[in-house]
Amino acid sequence: MFDAPFIAEAMQAYVLETAPVLALYLDANHCVAGANAQARLVLRGDAFGHPLAEQIVDFTRTLDLPSLIRQGGAVHRLTLSTVSGMPETLCFRFFPLPDGALALGSLDFQEQQKLRDGALELNRELNNLTRQLHQANAELRELNELKNRFIGMAAHDLRKPVGVIMTYSEFLLDEAGDRLDDEQRGFLRTSLAAAAGMKRLIDNFLDVSVIESGHLRLERSRTAVAEILAGVLPLVRLVAARKKVELFTEAGDDGHPLAVDVAKLQQVLVNLAGNAIEHSQAGQRVWLAARREETGLVFSVRDEGPGIAPEDQKRLFAPFVRAGTRKTAGERSVGLGLAIARLVVEAHGGHIWVESKPDHGSTFFVTLPTEEGGERPCATIS
Amino acid sequence: MLIGGARNGNSKEQYGASGAERGRNNRMNFDIFPNQPFAFEETYRRYLDGLLANDRHQCRVSFEQWLESNAGLRTLYEELVQRSLYEVGDLWERGRISVATEHLATAITESLLNLAYPRLFAQPRLGKSAIVACVANEYHQIGGKMVADIFELNGWRGYFLGANTPLRDVMELIAEKHPDVVALSATVPFSLDTLISAVTEIRAAFPETPILVGGQAFRWGGRERVEGLPGVRCLISLNELEAWIKEHENHV
Repeated sequence: MFDAPFIAEAMQAYVLETAPVLALYLDANHCVAGANAQARLVLRGDAFGHPLAEQIVDFTRTLDLPSLIRQGGAVHRLTLSTVSGMPETLCFRFFPLPDGALALGSLDFQEQQKLRDGALELNRELNNLTRQLHQANAELRELNELKNRFIGMAAHDLRKPVGVIMTYSEFLLDEAGDRLDDEQRGFLRTSLAAAAGMKRLIDNFLDVSVIESGHLRLERSRTAVAEILAGVLPLVRLVAARKKVELFTEAGDDGHPLAVDVAKLQQVLVNLAGNAIEHSQAGQRVWLAARREETGLVFSVRDEGPGIAPEDQKRLFAPFVRAGTRKTAGERSVGLGLAIARLVVEAHGGHIWVESKPDHGSTFFVTLPTEEGGERPCATIS
Repeated sequence: MLIGGARNGNSKEQYGASGAERGRNNRMNFDIFPNQPFAFEETYRRYLDGLLANDRHQCRVSFEQWLESNAGLRTLYEELVQRSLYEVGDLWERGRISVATEHLATAITESLLNLAYPRLFAQPRLGKSAIVACVANEYHQIGGKMVADIFELNGWRGYFLGANTPLRDVMELIAEKHPDVVALSATVPFSLDTLISAVTEIRAAFPETPILVGGQAFRWGGRERVEGLPGVRCLISLNELEAWIKEHENHV
């Protein structure tokens, strides 16, 4: 049977104790004088006993709460400060009472649903993009490995015929040079020089493929710094002399041997010194130095060349990057030397960097730890 | 015997002790790791409690512990991710948790799967690929994503297009990738008509490409509506999917 008092009592109890609506009793001054359980959960502690208007976010300062209360019935969208610190927009209805007013507020259910669906969709999209990114990374890694294998195989197969061309060119110059005229001997020397350039390039590609595939193995032996430099100088003196560049060495070393892969370290130093000479004009100077510091042994190669622009310095050790500066005799480069140098130095546990200012020359530094550490895993060249 | 001992989480006490039959049926016997000190069952319970309490941090800790254990990705997918999702689904169906809790549990699961991807995608490849998509107007994607991940787990490339994928996008990717199989997922039964229409169009455009369909939508029937279509198989569990993959991994 329809029992109106019972229903009214049940609804009152529900609103006061359980319902997800805010029920506020406002006194004659529109201060919060009473609140249901939900309102006590949501409103800040300082709301009680103070005007409700102080809890309403009103950037334009145009809110006229007494007028809204007098209107009664209509739904007003108001934003409240909440205990969580986040403002919350609720739909309020006001019911004027003789000594104050009753305010009932609830969330817009459809808006909440829209918000939830939007957040979930954004989350799904973000996760799907992350998955695609991981998948693309894996595919790129596979392609990079494939490229390294291809470069390794191609370089390996090209090395032999180039070696044959060099050997036979040298053989012809030695054995048949006196039967050739100057022009013919010039042809042979040009062929030999071109083949030597190609061999250097192939060796670089082979180095890259070996390092990239993670198969770089350092063959460390304890070697004095003077001995390391002694292996470098004959290779770069010739180039310096040809370009009339003065080459100085400074080995401020205490003689303690260093556990390094001598051939690979010499390759790095030859490369750095060679670059310095190739970027120098006749009459300029290049210094190849080694000094011991607390952190380790520091090799440096300084030149008086054109210097390197700051934007080029950042990407100088990446593969296939050539600085904006040109080598003074038009020497050719594919931009692998410094990338290989970085990988070799880092495999030793060291660092390589450059300090340079345009028109004030450049200095390349290589530091190697004096305490022999474990080999580092090869960095990738990409 | 299950390694891990007592459940010290509170999910059973709080949400009821029965249910999660599908999850339980898939539970593996951890006796295959006789010297394994890792407490799988406890970790699972902590993970599930975290999901139900929307405690992402607790879930992440458990997920990472499992990932770092030597149990492998397969048990992570089957015994942590799949089992917990089934249990959350059961709790929701029995009215023990709200749809919001279920949605948050799914969202947490999806974000944590990202932690497994570097390993998942680094697995050796067999040179085969699958395109997986949830049909248009189907907004539940975790099942479809798990399918794509199971393909990856088995050495296939599993391209996942996500929830609510327009058929045009699926067709374009099939034309681009020439996959060995296309898998379409539907979670809610209302999506079945869309799924059947999508299957029919894909079959017409790519008559040679096998099509798999599946998802929770088939729990209440509908299998017979798709299995009569040429070259279409309905697989309603990840175990059935794995069996299908094994069967087809050696086919050219």
